[in-house]
Amino acid sequence: MQRRTLIKLGVVSAALVAVVGGTAAFIKPGLERGSLTPAGREIFRAIGSAILNKSLPDQPAARQAAVTELISRIDTLISALPEHARAELSQLLSILATGAGRRALAGLSATWPDASVPELQAALQGMRLSSFAVRQQAYAALHEITASAYFSEPGTWGLLGYPGPLVI
Amino acid sequence: MSKLQDPIKDGLARGWKVMGGPFAPPPEQITCDVAIIGSGAGAGISAELLTKAGLKVVIIEEGPLKSSSDFNQKESEAYPQLYQESAARKTEDKAINILQGRCVGGSTTVNWTSSFRTPAPTLKFWQDKFGLKDYNVDALSPYFEQAERRLSIGPWLTPPNENNDLLRRGAAKLGIPAQAIARNVKGCWNLGSCGMGCPTNAKQSMLVTTIPAALDQGAQLLVETRAERFELANGRITALLCSFGVSNTAVAQQIHVRSATKIVASHYVLAAGAINSPAVLLRSGAPDPYGRLGERTFLHPVVMSSAVFEQKVEAWQGAPQTIYTDHFLETQAIDGPIGYKLEAPPLHPVIFASTVPGMGQSQHDLLKAFPHNHTLLALMRDGFHEQSPGGRVKLRSDGSPVLDYPLNDYLMDGARRAMLSMMEIQFAAGATKVLPLHEMAQTYTTWGQAREAVNALPMKPLLTKVVSAHVMGGCGMAGLENQGVTRPDGMHWQIENLSIHDGSLFPTSIGANPQLSVYGVVNLLAQGLVKRLTRTEVKLA
Repeated sequence: MQRRTLIKLGVVSAALVAVVGGTAAFIKPGLERGSLTPAGREIFRAIGSAILNKSLPDQPAARQAAVTELISRIDTLISALPEHARAELSQLLSILATGAGRRALAGLSATWPDASVPELQAALQGMRLSSFAVRQQAYAALHEITASAYFSEPGTWGLLGYPGPLVI
Repeated sequence: MSKLQDPIKDGLARGWKVMGGPFAPPPEQITCDVAIIGSGAGAGISAELLTKAGLKVVIIEEGPLKSSSDFNQKESEAYPQLYQESAARKTEDKAINILQGRCVGGSTTVNWTSSFRTPAPTLKFWQDKFGLKDYNVDALSPYFEQAERRLSIGPWLTPPNENNDLLRRGAAKLGIPAQAIARNVKGCWNLGSCGMGCPTNAKQSMLVTTIPAALDQGAQLLVETRAERFELANGRITALLCSFGVSNTAVAQQIHVRSATKIVASHYVLAAGAINSPAVLLRSGAPDPYGRLGERTFLHPVVMSSAVFEQKVEAWQGAPQTIYTDHFLETQAIDGPIGYKLEAPPLHPVIFASTVPGMGQSQHDLLKAFPHNHTLLALMRDGFHEQSPGGRVKLRSDGSPVLDYPLNDYLMDGARRAMLSMMEIQFAAGATKVLPLHEMAQTYTTWGQAREAVNALPMKPLLTKVVSAHVMGGCGMAGLENQGVTRPDGMHWQIENLSIHDGSLFPTSIGANPQLSVYGVVNLLAQGLVKRLTRTEVKLA
């Protein structure tokens, strides 16, 4: 059943399913009950730190806290997505959480928590300019979710020089 | 939260019949004269006219009833609450992001107020190619006039904000004419947060005009209730099946048990908007003998160019989109290389951050320059060339619709020309840096450098940022049965008690922001429908 769903989902190409197909029955979902699983959180922590690198606080503790807040906002954002989009995202994250999927889709050899920011950025850049639509789509989804979630709360607006709405 | 008078709360206190969502659940069956699916531009105009004629009307809206007390100008609340798919609806290949409303008032609750009558060349094309001989400037003019009166559509006399004035100044330097955009506002505060729902009720959307008028006349409104499908027998609709307890999220769906309600009406008006209107018919297995249903769905595919200026632009404040130029629609034949309309969209943190490309230092520099950012957009006029057949609405296995809209070379040639035009205007207006929104583009500091670079970029989907806020077609009107889904009088060609009254009627894109085209055309069609159903005449204003 899971394998059948995988093949149907738009974001996942047949080639990619072939790569991780052997493990497909065992891989964990990226989302559960509408929230990121630990595996999904690990991926977004890494990707968030890489995409927003210069926009996150420098000081390590503040940086960690900002990434934790980002994850919580991503959960909020995901909870408002329609079911089909959530299913696709869950599938994408579950593939990225496997070693084979991470290498095939993201082109990343280090694990998500171990990868350095330059390694992660290089992997993301590879997806961004890939000639495979599925890798470009995955990059676009991860980039959009990260950037939209991070700047959805007033705490981050200072960086943007945005004063927030007028009180009516 | 706005502390101003809230006309929706007042109406509810007066006893409006609203059910679904936080209100009482709808009964198992409702009988009425006319069931209207949707509550946006086409539905609102239809509801006001039909109730004026004394008909018993039920309005079915998938989204929630939100009003000025809820509109706090925050994107993180507005997008999930008021937009289809949390403002992240995408075409099937994910290459185009689509903004569409999903709330009482539909897209009119969240649009940027730009009001244009259907351009004459568009109408001429419909007459020539789709047998819509009565769709001409003179015949439609009284219907537009009424809509303009009813919705306070008129010139915007406040000077444009810097974001829009940059378009005016840049175009003027190049000898390109640019004009002011009419707006549907009354007592506008010039806040710039139209896209998150008007917190002052100044925008004359369906939410504060026609829907309240219909409710005051006794119409019944079902919110958070989704039209699933029609029951059909012998070329007629016998009932509309709806589900409620439908939230934007599946989590909520697990909590609330979905329930059903059946609406039995003499006549049905489908006005769920393009994509969703064809989807209701597809789910219903509606007759489609010529394979037209869901086809020719148009988007005005939009490409953008972002620029940084020395001075502050603060594109979030002030009335959005008050200046435009149609120069690039008029420089070639309507059925030649694709033309485009240029406008200056408002920017807020989420929409801005999600469109700033890349990561790390380059992204950071652009994010930090937000107050100095000015972005132009080009709306490409699709549907007038054989290589621009638009997209096709399909159903996923769960019944939800998805639009397959291929971005072919014909369209991407327009994307390149549009980027060049926008960049040239931005440099002429004094931009220090310009970045066309393309994954392989860099920031450019001179027009010569930018032109050379953009001429060399591979204009491909997914590399090129493409968005849309104007979905049109899919139930196209035509004078001949084999050319469309809908007759010129708005009736479905094969189903005798169904009218289609929304942007899905348009046989091509409009070539301008479509809200007033929907108001004007539906005003004509709904007056005709009232006459057929009641033998009486009503007017919008």
